Amino acid sequence: MKREKGYTKKNFLKGIINENPLFVSILGTCPALATTKTLEAAIGMGILFTVVLICSSALVSLLRKVISEEIRTPAYIVIIATFVTIVKMFTNAFLPDLYSTLGVFISLIVVNCIVLGRAEAYASKNNVFDSFIDALGMGVGYTLALLSMAFFREFLGTGAFAFGNIFTFIPLVKVQIIPKEYVMSIFQNPAGAFIVFGLILAVLAFIKNRKEEYKAYLARQEKIRKAEEAKKAALATAANKEEGGNK
Amino acid sequence: MNIFVAFVLAIISSMLMDNVVLSRFYGICPFLGVSRKVNSSLGMGVAVVFVIMLATLICWPFYTYILVPAGIPFMDTVAYILVIASLVQLTGLFIKKYSPSLYKSLGIYLPLITTNCAVLGVAQGNTDQGLSFLDSIANGLGTSIGFLLIIVTFSCIRTRLETANTPKAFKGLPIALITAAIMAIALVGLQGLFSGIKL
Amino acid sequence: MSKDLTLVIAIVILTALVAIFFISFVAYRKTPMPKGCENLKMDQEKCASCSNESCMFHKKEESEDNK
Repeated sequence: MKREKGYTKKNFLKGIINENPLFVSILGTCPALATTKTLEAAIGMGILFTVVLICSSALVSLLRKVISEEIRTPAYIVIIATFVTIVKMFTNAFLPDLYSTLGVFISLIVVNCIVLGRAEAYASKNNVFDSFIDALGMGVGYTLALLSMAFFREFLGTGAFAFGNIFTFIPLVKVQIIPKEYVMSIFQNPAGAFIVFGLILAVLAFIKNRKEEYKAYLARQEKIRKAEEAKKAALATAANKEEGGNK
Repeated sequence: MNIFVAFVLAIISSMLMDNVVLSRFYGICPFLGVSRKVNSSLGMGVAVVFVIMLATLICWPFYTYILVPAGIPFMDTVAYILVIASLVQLTGLFIKKYSPSLYKSLGIYLPLITTNCAVLGVAQGNTDQGLSFLDSIANGLGTSIGFLLIIVTFSCIRTRLETANTPKAFKGLPIALITAAIMAIALVGLQGLFSGIKL
Repeated sequence: MSKDLTLVIAIVILTALVAIFFISFVAYRKTPMPKGCENLKMDQEKCASCSNESCMFHKKEESEDNK
């Protein structure tokens, strides 16, 4: 198979920007709204999600010639569920605070559309390395999306950034930026999650619209310029002809 | 306070105060994806009620009487997803074969339910929180009816939103999410409704 | 009942579940569409981005079903 240069880099970056699973494809919205109350929970969710995505993508890609077309989806579901169980047990053993914070949402990675979607759309057709890079890109993109939501929710909702509550192996640090009297605690509530997600999507749509408008504007300018040039050329040829006629 | 009243109160509280979509965040994908038309959201909601109830009735005894005595309670997620997915496929198969009219109205939503967080979330939540069988049924019933209620209400609002004059950047999903936020705030107002009742 | 026996029973049931899942999945796919349901559709604008191929509304699957 011929590979274009820089394919790996492109493959990795597409999950973060052009095909960001949360903000562009609007997939995996349930954990995105539920686990973004604090930055720490978002990081934890992102990491667990990425681990499951990478492991299942790699295994699916490894077994892509063994699993027949007919039973693909059920086989993938079993593979993903197995990895989720493994990750869940590890979290329960080593990060019990994270386990109790995320709760059911660790198990719900099984039914996250992104994992099954990547397995079916990409890993079942490509080799292990490409699938690994693809899964890594998607996982990092999803984590960054979660972090950006958690940033606004924690900052506006508590006015502070706190670390060390969930990842207890680092010392507790809390930086209060907005005084406590002025925080908007609605952003810590479920309603705040919907508002933040809606506003982020609106801003992205706004930027996209602007870009399209600018492109249309450029195209229009180009058209006008070309029309004028054609006019000028026509005039010039007419003038030439006249000159020629006068001579 | 007798058991029946407690049962009804549990249903209402998991239906409204602790609504699946708006405060527990299960099933956001169908909530946003299938709520364009009232008919399709009704079909989806009814299918979800059916599958959640069946899944609750099977998963709880399976966990309590088979997985726990065998010493492998950690296999719960795998077992639940298998039960739910098989249930969905078998129900779909049955409807497809014997009742084309039902298939026409409900069948197309069934495959979507396998990847609906609400079903797995309820089954997992029931055993994670250590609820009793009766409480699990109340939770399942309340959650699924709450889902039906919210998704139908939301689709009614969305059909009106389609014609509303919204800013260009907010068209489609963003305004729907803001609407959902306002609905969530409205449901917060019901919090503490039963706080005076002693059980 | 001894613990080993329950463990064996649990494993047998789990394996049976896996088997039921696979068989029901294949059987569901092989069952022909009932009459009048061949062209059931939903708005796909949202679903185009999702690549869950087990979902009916996935475009690829639909073209197969329409054959």
